[in-house]
Amino acid sequence: MSLQRKFTKEMKLGLGVLSLYIVWALSWFVYKYTIKGTFLKPYTPELDMKQELAMPMTKGLVLGADLLGRSLLEVLSAGLTYSLTLSMLVTIITASIGILMGYMAVKAPSWFKLGFDLAINLVFIFPSILIAIMIMAVTGQSMKGLIFAMIITGWPGYAKIARGEAKRVLSLTYVEGARAIGIGEVRMFFTIIIPAILPVMIVNMVLGISGVIISEASLGFLGLGGSPYSWGAMLSAAKTVLLEAPHIAMILSVTMAGLIIGLNLFGDGLRDYLDPNKG
Amino acid sequence: MSRFIEKILYAVLTIFVALTTIFFVIRMSPGDPVETVLGQKATQEEIMKLKSQLGLDLPMSAQYKAYLIGLTKGDMGKTIFGNKDVKELLKERMKPTITLASISVTLAAIVGIFLGILAGYKKNKSFDKFSRLISLFALSFPIFSLAPLMVLLFSIKFNWFPVSEWGTLKHMFLPIVTLVIPLSAVVMRVTRNKYLEEVHSQWVMVTRSKGLNEVAILLRVLKVCLPTILNVVSIQLSVVIAGTMITETIFDIPGMGSLLFDGIQNRDYPIVQAVIVYSTLTYMVIYFVIDFVNEKLDPRTQS
Repeated sequence: MSLQRKFTKEMKLGLGVLSLYIVWALSWFVYKYTIKGTFLKPYTPELDMKQELAMPMTKGLVLGADLLGRSLLEVLSAGLTYSLTLSMLVTIITASIGILMGYMAVKAPSWFKLGFDLAINLVFIFPSILIAIMIMAVTGQSMKGLIFAMIITGWPGYAKIARGEAKRVLSLTYVEGARAIGIGEVRMFFTIIIPAILPVMIVNMVLGISGVIISEASLGFLGLGGSPYSWGAMLSAAKTVLLEAPHIAMILSVTMAGLIIGLNLFGDGLRDYLDPNKG
Repeated sequence: MSRFIEKILYAVLTIFVALTTIFFVIRMSPGDPVETVLGQKATQEEIMKLKSQLGLDLPMSAQYKAYLIGLTKGDMGKTIFGNKDVKELLKERMKPTITLASISVTLAAIVGIFLGILAGYKKNKSFDKFSRLISLFALSFPIFSLAPLMVLLFSIKFNWFPVSEWGTLKHMFLPIVTLVIPLSAVVMRVTRNKYLEEVHSQWVMVTRSKGLNEVAILLRVLKVCLPTILNVVSIQLSVVIAGTMITETIFDIPGMGSLLFDGIQNRDYPIVQAVIVYSTLTYMVIYFVIDFVNEKLDPRTQS
């Protein structure tokens, strides 16, 4: 551990971009629940066929309107909050399962390890988009199905990292010391193992969030999304009016890429920050 | 040898799990293809007649058995829409996808390795910083948001390339670029990191002190880096599968991806089954080849 650690330029830039998006998402929440709607009856973007495909800065719309005449800014905001909530929720669940499974793979009896390896390899070896398509085909286009599909395809990545990290941590002297005092397995897991492997997991989670956003949008693009406000589904619709209203696809692409760039910059910076030897 | 057998078993198991899952999954999913084919005016009798023709009135286990027996004979059934032979359809649609995927992966590997080594060689110089930034941007534009932008710019604004259709090199250009950009960015990053890891190691110092010239050293370092790069490429194959699917839908390419897409939309069971089984099989074969090449390149991976 060196004392010269400092926030890199990458990380600051990423953090700056991310905070813009977070402020945007939070303002949408306030607007949706208090200004335009109420807590019990939240506001959703309204249809208005008269302003269909309106260009930006016309008819009182900052970003113009989409195919159904909804304000593009409002639809984008709804998509942003959907995308952020979903990706964070999925990442937290997936990473928790991954950590637990990875740790179990180090500690558990050999039959468990065998099954674990088999499950991991099956998911790893099989293209994740095909697994997701299969699950989405069966559950229909529902949020539950989407989250399930993401978790099934996502946990092995975290489990592999967690297994490696757990192996490393378990061989450290202070863990041996803790064991010598007689700390129980559960307490050991929560107070010693988790804090030790958390930094590495957090870096992967930040980068994982952008991965989830991309996969969700891919599925949405293929017509297998979980919400009409999925950016992928919106892009798929924007593609059909590319000639008449190119601004929709353009604004969508850039907004989405901006968020992913922010996450990737922050994640990359965080990795360098936590591990000065790399990069 | 036992490791080899173990791997074959894994592959067979994966393919079997894949084809079984997709068989049941697609049948349990909402939507009835027969009712869609015949339209809303169809009588119950007509529906039953077509179902028995297609064998869809049998119990699921009987259908599954028939499907497996068919597969062993290389028979993949007929499509529900249009009653075409699935195998013939697959053969027809395979060519664009294989062309697209193989050209893109090869190009991405060449571009990525070249730029990665160059960036590593010029570490922390402006070229390195610039290319790292560009690769980050390349990674952050998903294919489905990159492709419409490319169409907007190069097809509609400048009119350099046709918007859709398939056939000549001109048609292939934009789809290939869309696939190459994110793939080469990944290869570039991995190559750069691996190169930097190896180039400061002791064996390179020994080689250098023996008086070998820089090009010979570079080639040796590259050989050591290759397994890592190949591994990443093999993981990226999953991305290629998803990528060609989206790219084909956007650029209207008559390939396997758009076939699967239409198959899912129409619940055309035989098509979806065939494409998934075929994709898994291809994936498995490539995975194997890369594994084999890796072992030849770096004997350490055998242990």
